[in-house]
Amino acid sequence: MRCCDVEALWDEMRDGVEPRREHVLAHLRRCPTCQDHYRQYEGVAYCLSCLPIVEPPPGLVPKILDHIKSVRGARYAVPDGIARIPSPLGTLYVAFRPAGITYVAIDRGTPFEAVCAEIERRLHRAVRAADAPRWVTERLRRYFTTWETDADRIDLSDLSEFERAALRKAMEIPPGEVRSYSWIAREIGHPHAARAVSQAMARNPLALLVPSHRVVDATGALHNYGYGLDLKARILGMEGYAPGPARSRA
Amino acid sequence: MAAPLGAQRIPRPAPSIETFETIVDEYQRRLYGFALRMTGNREDAEEIVQDAFVRAFRALGKMTDEQRAELRLQPWLYTITLNVTRNRLRSKRPTNVALDALADPDALLSGTGEGPDSPEQIVERGTDMALVEQALLQLPMHLRAAATLRFIEGRSHPEIAEILQQPIGTVKSHVHRAVRILRRVLAPQVGRLAPAGDPTHAVL
Repeated sequence: MRCCDVEALWDEMRDGVEPRREHVLAHLRRCPTCQDHYRQYEGVAYCLSCLPIVEPPPGLVPKILDHIKSVRGARYAVPDGIARIPSPLGTLYVAFRPAGITYVAIDRGTPFEAVCAEIERRLHRAVRAADAPRWVTERLRRYFTTWETDADRIDLSDLSEFERAALRKAMEIPPGEVRSYSWIAREIGHPHAARAVSQAMARNPLALLVPSHRVVDATGALHNYGYGLDLKARILGMEGYAPGPARSRA
Repeated sequence: MAAPLGAQRIPRPAPSIETFETIVDEYQRRLYGFALRMTGNREDAEEIVQDAFVRAFRALGKMTDEQRAELRLQPWLYTITLNVTRNRLRSKRPTNVALDALADPDALLSGTGEGPDSPEQIVERGTDMALVEQALLQLPMHLRAAATLRFIEGRSHPEIAEILQQPIGTVKSHVHRAVRILRRVLAPQVGRLAPAGDPTHAVL
């Protein structure tokens, strides 16, 4: 039996089904090179099998079931419509219901089905492909022509009190300007909650229309953005923001 | 440890949310662990598992009775989880590799199982484990999937072939390539972690 034949077989032996087991072992006893390889191979397998089993977070099962119930559709909620809308930043996926726009995602090359799944998980409702009504396209057009951000036709009702407050405050930042996470925290009366503000921004369901991209860290560094820092810089540039030397702002 | 392949048959009629609960209950741990090893991020793993079960529930609802009777639940759930993972990782910025402190000391403490280790041993073991995790995450997606299913999930080659929807020969060669890379990267860890009673001595 040649070395290469043996190497192909010893992994099979782990399942205990290899009929040529004795031949493999006989070869291994004779051939120090293969013995060495075999030890390393088993060592790698052993290391991997030692990785600790990480328990899922408590409450994952009810969470999954709730999620299934909530996206199951009509019995619980009318699904939001979702439309693809072209924009200067590429395709936008926009979810909406009569109360307003509920989600804006910027296309990152994710398949449509996966985008929908993600949005459904965030909204806890089903979404269904639909043509964008005129008010939706008009609302986006207004953003892309004036860069103004206001609460008109925006539905943040799925969010927590705190998230809503933080996102509403972000909407007050004028186009072409930025503010820090701690500025928002102070303004909404939770001066020590800059971290929570940064999380609320990271979870912003309405890209662009709620300008979480105008929120930066205390040194003026862009810090983070769900769609990548390059895009954050590009959007800010588009809105007329000219970054000065990094400094503390507000 | 793992249930034999396809041992769990699903009820012929489409499962209600209540009967689906037993499926979720039975597989969530395994799928979560798999998603975590594939992404290295707890938040991602949690969301992947949620998406995977929603997809599974929907798909079961759309199947005919015959399709449901034919279905082998476990590999199918792994396949769905892997697809969701793939979609997610594809759209993710490559910069986001912040390891989620996967090897947390608690898990390691409860994970070794064999008597109390000294604090130094625990620390060293923790560092080694973190390196093993990282090495696995550095593998290309298809090699990582093959190695994870083989050595962590303990699946056989035919099962992995079914999950990855690839020929067995391809699966074997992926497993081998993964090991070849890992044994280069992990040589010191392999030396340290493999127990004194080297497992190979049993057969040699």
